[in-house]
Amino acid sequence: MNYPVWHLDFAGGGLPIAIMAIIHVYIAHFAVGGGLFLVLTEHKGLRDKSPAILDYVKKHTKFFLLLTMVLGSLTGVGIWFTISVLNPAATSVMIHTFVFAWGVEWLFFVAEIVSLFIYYYTFDKLDSRTHLMIGWIYFGAAWMSLFVINGIIDFMLTPGNWTANSSFWSAFFNPTFWPALFFRTFLAIMIAGLFGFVTASALKDEKLRISMQRFSASWLLVPFILFIGSAWWYRAALPPHVEELIFQRMPAMKPFISSFVVFSPLLILGGLLMAIKIPSGVSRSLAGLMLVIGLLYMGTFEFIREGGRRPYIIYDHMYSTAMFKDDVAKARTNGILESAKWVDRKALATADTSRRGQEVFRLLCVSCHSIDGPLNDIKKIAANLTRADLELATTLMGKQLAFMPPFAGSQAEKDDVLYYIHRTLLNKPE
Amino acid sequence: MDPATLIPVPDALPVHWFWFQLLLTVTTFLHLVAMNIVLGSSGLAFISTFSTDSNSLNLGKEIGHKLPFVLAFTINFGVAPLLFLQTLYGQFFYTSTVLMASLWLSIIGMLIVTYYAAYIFHLRFDSLARFRAFFIGLAVVLLLIISFFFTNNISLMQMPSSWTSYFSSPNGWLVNWGDITLLPRYLHFIVSGFAVGSLAVALLYEFKKRRGDVAADAWIKLGCKWFTIGTVINFGIGFWFLGTLPGFAHDVTTSAGKLFTIVLYGSVAAGAVSVIKAMSNRVVPAAIWTMATVFLMVIARDMVRISYLHPYLSLPELPVKTQYSPFILFLIFFAGIGALVWWMLKTAWCAKEVQ
Repeated sequence: MNYPVWHLDFAGGGLPIAIMAIIHVYIAHFAVGGGLFLVLTEHKGLRDKSPAILDYVKKHTKFFLLLTMVLGSLTGVGIWFTISVLNPAATSVMIHTFVFAWGVEWLFFVAEIVSLFIYYYTFDKLDSRTHLMIGWIYFGAAWMSLFVINGIIDFMLTPGNWTANSSFWSAFFNPTFWPALFFRTFLAIMIAGLFGFVTASALKDEKLRISMQRFSASWLLVPFILFIGSAWWYRAALPPHVEELIFQRMPAMKPFISSFVVFSPLLILGGLLMAIKIPSGVSRSLAGLMLVIGLLYMGTFEFIREGGRRPYIIYDHMYSTAMFKDDVAKARTNGILESAKWVDRKALATADTSRRGQEVFRLLCVSCHSIDGPLNDIKKIAANLTRADLELATTLMGKQLAFMPPFAGSQAEKDDVLYYIHRTLLNKPE
Repeated sequence: MDPATLIPVPDALPVHWFWFQLLLTVTTFLHLVAMNIVLGSSGLAFISTFSTDSNSLNLGKEIGHKLPFVLAFTINFGVAPLLFLQTLYGQFFYTSTVLMASLWLSIIGMLIVTYYAAYIFHLRFDSLARFRAFFIGLAVVLLLIISFFFTNNISLMQMPSSWTSYFSSPNGWLVNWGDITLLPRYLHFIVSGFAVGSLAVALLYEFKKRRGDVAADAWIKLGCKWFTIGTVINFGIGFWFLGTLPGFAHDVTTSAGKLFTIVLYGSVAAGAVSVIKAMSNRVVPAAIWTMATVFLMVIARDMVRISYLHPYLSLPELPVKTQYSPFILFLIFFAGIGALVWWMLKTAWCAKEVQ
């Protein structure tokens, strides 16, 4: 293990990235689908010769700009900041493999910023054809950002032939690239509809409000079938052992999969309600509720996708502990405290069992487990386990407990970390 | 403990290291120019909020109108150098980032607040009244803190000898107080920001003057005056910074030391010319010479980093697994998107009110 470990107890188990990623991914998808929503709504306003609709587009653009340009962009940078402190080794692999893909994504980001600013500030200054063209450029750049990022994200789940040939192209156009691209595109369009509800339901003119709510509902409901189809394709494209692990062998995934299944009809029902004539106050509350359901929907999907990689951070290459798959055997033989670079061996030489166990915990467990935190709290998980149960669990890691990496330490280190969990953290007798 | 034993093993580069160094230098230049403009101009806007003079209020309003754009580009232009820095110096940069992880992640929260404060200052300028100073002041303070954290990260990154502090403070709160260059380095950047930001304000009014704004002259003069004062002060801070640098950084017997010395003299000369031009209110030439100064300072900065890391890193010896096709694709996109952005900016610049 190459890098120092940021010592986190409560926030262990990936809490910072979970918070940052869920917010970002939701807004980032809105930044794509919402771009299409803007130009097609402007088209509609021009076609219907409706100044009211055009005025609505302008107001929606302001909302869109303030949300995507600030919170969306910065949480995107935030994800990068967060992964580089939580798992610098994996981040380094991804940066070195995809540096020019990131570079291209940055270029599209430049185009997004320029086009969105111009689009917002030139509603009354450019002729409609040129203005629409700027809007289409924004959408094209935003979708291309999705195209690039999609390749990198799915590489982590399904690196495909890259593990054998190290080719950029194998890594980028990996086995789940295309289904994930369609899946995310349809999701982005649906999310545009959810955000459309928010601004449409705030309109004062009732006729326009209902018309724009119906228009937004069509964005949510029409792509839904295609979205479900692409989700099926996505699942089918997963390697069989990954698919089996996610859907059958990982108990922690069950609530997320169930939630995803439950939220789908809720979104359809909400979309249908928004399309009928309901009072303004009800539609505003429902729009807010739908937005929250959308966030949870996105969150459950991201948890499933992220969880699906377990026990790896880059499938079949690097474990979530930042240890390369090929280095596990060495760490078992020599011990993790000898193999890892960032260990104060001099201090540990005279340390007691609990302190050594704590160090092993930080090296091998903290990436997935918190202490007293909301994510995978080791104290809750181990609360009802005996010392023998814990011993058995560490033996089954990487085998029956396939979502966990194999324990990458010596027998003495295993004893130390079990002592730390059982005696120090849970204060249980030997 | 030998710090060399702590340095992580680097990952392989896909193309020759020189390309990354070139991209790093060019994009850092873009970022620093934008960052200077944000910092300096928001500082001026903050000062203007204390004036009761309506002209000063207009200055604040004008800056507030531009601030969200410049902030957006500052952040965007910060992404690219961070990418190339991580590619070329990742084993040092990731380490320093983990050592100050808590401070590092706080940057995101502070940037979000800064950005929204700038938008509130812009969109609610008239109705904010006495709260204007609060919002723009908040943005300035946060930008100063963010700048310090960046300086701290670069300081930690190029001083592996400071890394052993991790073992007594592993919670991500490390500040490299042991580095005597930390303070002058930071101040050098901050004062440069205020100087360049002032010049950017002068440049803004220079363009307004060319479009017929008769009141622009006063702001051109003020911007040039503040730029001159800031740059002269920065000469002093720069020499202080230079004095704190270890001898090997300007050792002319090494290639990096030689190049550092040349670009340093060049930047001092270019800075002096920019001050002379600004003193006679010749904004455009002053801006051109300032850009040259900043560019040379970026190269000087790169040379200092290479000298600092010399005992631990030789760029030509970094592992390489050559794959040029993604790089070529990047260059194609660079040209294509560059042309598209140029067309959009030209279109917006020529836009007239549609009746």
